[in-house]
Amino acid sequence: MKLEQELKQLEDIAKKLESDELPLDEAITLFESGVKLATSIRTALNEAKIRIETVVENSRDSFTIEPFDLE
Amino acid sequence: MGYTVYPTMESRHVFTVSELNTTARTALEQGVGQVWVQGEVSDLTRAPSGHIYFTLKDEGSQLSAVRFKSRTSLLAPVTIEPGTVVLAQGTLTVYEPRGRYQFIVSILQPIGAGAIQRAFERLKRKLQEEGLFAPEDKSELPAIPNAIGVITSSKGAALRDVHSVLKRRWPHIRIFLFPSTVQGDTAPKELQEALDRAIRFSQSTHALDVLILTRGGGSAEDLAAFNDEALARNLYACPIPTISAVGHEIDFSITDFVADRRAPTPSAAAEVAVPDRAEALGLVNERLYRILRQARTVWKERLDEFRLRADACLMRSPQRRFETCEQRFDLGLAEALRNMSVLWKAQHAASNHWAEVLRLSDPSLPLQRGYSLTFHPGDSRPIRSISDLAIGDSIETRLADGRLVSHIQEVSSHEA
Repeated sequence: MKLEQELKQLEDIAKKLESDELPLDEAITLFESGVKLATSIRTALNEAKIRIETVVENSRDSFTIEPFDLE
Repeated sequence: MGYTVYPTMESRHVFTVSELNTTARTALEQGVGQVWVQGEVSDLTRAPSGHIYFTLKDEGSQLSAVRFKSRTSLLAPVTIEPGTVVLAQGTLTVYEPRGRYQFIVSILQPIGAGAIQRAFERLKRKLQEEGLFAPEDKSELPAIPNAIGVITSSKGAALRDVHSVLKRRWPHIRIFLFPSTVQGDTAPKELQEALDRAIRFSQSTHALDVLILTRGGGSAEDLAAFNDEALARNLYACPIPTISAVGHEIDFSITDFVADRRAPTPSAAAEVAVPDRAEALGLVNERLYRILRQARTVWKERLDEFRLRADACLMRSPQRRFETCEQRFDLGLAEALRNMSVLWKAQHAASNHWAEVLRLSDPSLPLQRGYSLTFHPGDSRPIRSISDLAIGDSIETRLADGRLVSHIQEVSSHEA
């Protein structure tokens, strides 16, 4: 899932917990999924997957992605 | 003026070439002296020595001019480009080794738009009138992009700058480079091709969330490729949100006006392309805190209710159901505690909350509420069934404030 959607979902969980009179089971389920989501977003944000790749077009609409070294 | 032309063959004076050039130089320097001249700059050459050679011209005539490095370094830098109309003060002299006369410039002031500038203004006006700069046609940049396309030179500093900013602000991203030369005669065409390639790549292979068209600083001629009309039209039609960042803060190019967003430098383009990781983490933490706070409230409010329901199970049903309830509660709490421990420790947050959760999981809590636990003396396992006991057996009972030892007088089941 995209980070943007995950952040939105986290906000939704927080709002739902804050606004609804939820059965305990449901509250716990929401709490758990919120905690899991927050953990996964934080992991993603700290993961440095940044890299530069060069795009080479072999023939029209047929592309090769090659790693690019800045040095 | 120390020269005379003798009228007769006998008395004529023959100059050497050097003498004549020296005479001419002296005549020009002393006869004309320091003057101001206005003209348009052309044929500009920046020599490795730092001297700048150019031609000053008007419609009918031209003049060789030079601005020496020693003079340029003393004065505020002036951007002179071919096409600029300048007002120059200097001395007219002869460069004797070549017998060329030239103007040595000491003060140089641009006074108006030259040909390049006029062409730029003309194109800008034309595209503006056609609506290529219209604010309502500009796309919003995505809040959180996953992949960024960069059209620039693979050798330039711009790519390095973009990479280092993205790495600091938002390392959760892929950068796809579409290399192109960014100056010279072939640059406009190459830039257009790179743009087309990026669009096709985004549609066929890997979606690009934003496209940065950029290069670092340079002279007006260096940046001219970004003032190309065809490139501007392709950029306007680009379905991917675009950022144009050409040269330094003071430089404006046509692509800057057409792109969805203009950034003053390559680094600034990277800044606007992505959010800040620290801010996003703050957002996550804020939401997580609200979730934890709410979970705590829910637990506090509902725990009594839950206990009552558990008690009801105990009163009217076989023990197994009660155990199931307890087990579910314990499992839920254990899971929650695991999560809580990881998160709260990581965040150094609200230790009183942690203590509260621990308190609620304390096995002595039910004893405080009037329940008791029964054991065979010397055995730590609680007695769970009447079938484990017979009349006359000793049992040990634990209460909140102490223990009792008693003998069994009667045994009967619920059904009895």
